[in-house]
Amino acid sequence: MSRDETYAKVMEIIGRYAKNKDALEGASEDTNILEDLKVNSARLVDVILDFEDEFDIEVADEDADAVNTVGDAVSLIEAKLG
Amino acid sequence: MTDIPRRTRLALWIQREVGRVLSVFWIPASAFALRYVMRYRIQDAARLRKRFRALVRESDEPILICANHLTMVDSMLVAWALGGSWWYFFNYRRMPWNLPEHRNFASVWFGKAAVWITKCIPIKRGGRREEVSGALKRVKYLLSKGETALIFAEGGRSRTGRIQLDSIAHGMGRIASSVRNCRALVVYLRGDRQRSWSTVPAVGDSFYVDFELVRPHSERTGMRRSREYAQQIADRLVRMEEKYFARRK
Repeated sequence: MSRDETYAKVMEIIGRYAKNKDALEGASEDTNILEDLKVNSARLVDVILDFEDEFDIEVADEDADAVNTVGDAVSLIEAKLG
Repeated sequence: MTDIPRRTRLALWIQREVGRVLSVFWIPASAFALRYVMRYRIQDAARLRKRFRALVRESDEPILICANHLTMVDSMLVAWALGGSWWYFFNYRRMPWNLPEHRNFASVWFGKAAVWITKCIPIKRGGRREEVSGALKRVKYLLSKGETALIFAEGGRSRTGRIQLDSIAHGMGRIASSVRNCRALVVYLRGDRQRSWSTVPAVGDSFYVDFELVRPHSERTGMRRSREYAQQIADRLVRMEEKYFARRK
């Protein structure tokens, strides 16, 4: 799976939880999930659990600590997929 | 459980010891403010404290207090309700460490000093994940050393006045699932005049307090394990809240 494909799926998942739909349209890999897209911090866990289901990976709490931006999420998933 | 740097461990030790020395001032002052300035009263306090002390005597295993959250002084009220005041002089490790929101308490110098002395680790909710994780790691370390900690089950004060299951703090499950033999002491506290959330409870309010010990379990791994732990604690809290309202009818 290419990085672009992973990015598209990541955005689709984050989109379900983002409160700032305007920021979602102009999002890039540098977009902060909590601050820019206004995903509730409690909901970030749901986002990552959805990544697990979508990409068939397992994410530890410590791995999730590195996820601040959309790009971080894409990189984490790519690392897990090998 | 030493996945925090030696320097951080030393800083926590200094914080605890300075707080312990100064506790002869700040614990009675806090209790005085709650009891005589705000005229708060804990219902059936003697029995409650007897139960808590018996539970503490029962085992040395770490205790993570998981409470509901309606006002900004809930952590003070929970500590006072469970242990009173003087008892903590002899059982200082049972005075819970707290994770107050940085913006509320630690953004000015005297606030910073106060939270540092009173066993607090300020946290920026919704802040950078590494910072939040750093605070949780410190709590895990302290629990593994036999200290007690308090975390609110919801990410912030409940905006509805009832337990909000869609705001359950994942960090609570994360701590409980990663500290060996950790017991979750689920505490439900509510002033009889508390309708919704507020800064402080009404002057003269009388508090219903109940607690139950929970040992969450899960066959899962990773974040799902932490999630299930948090969910089990939250479910217990919801049942305790239902019990409170059923009693009031």
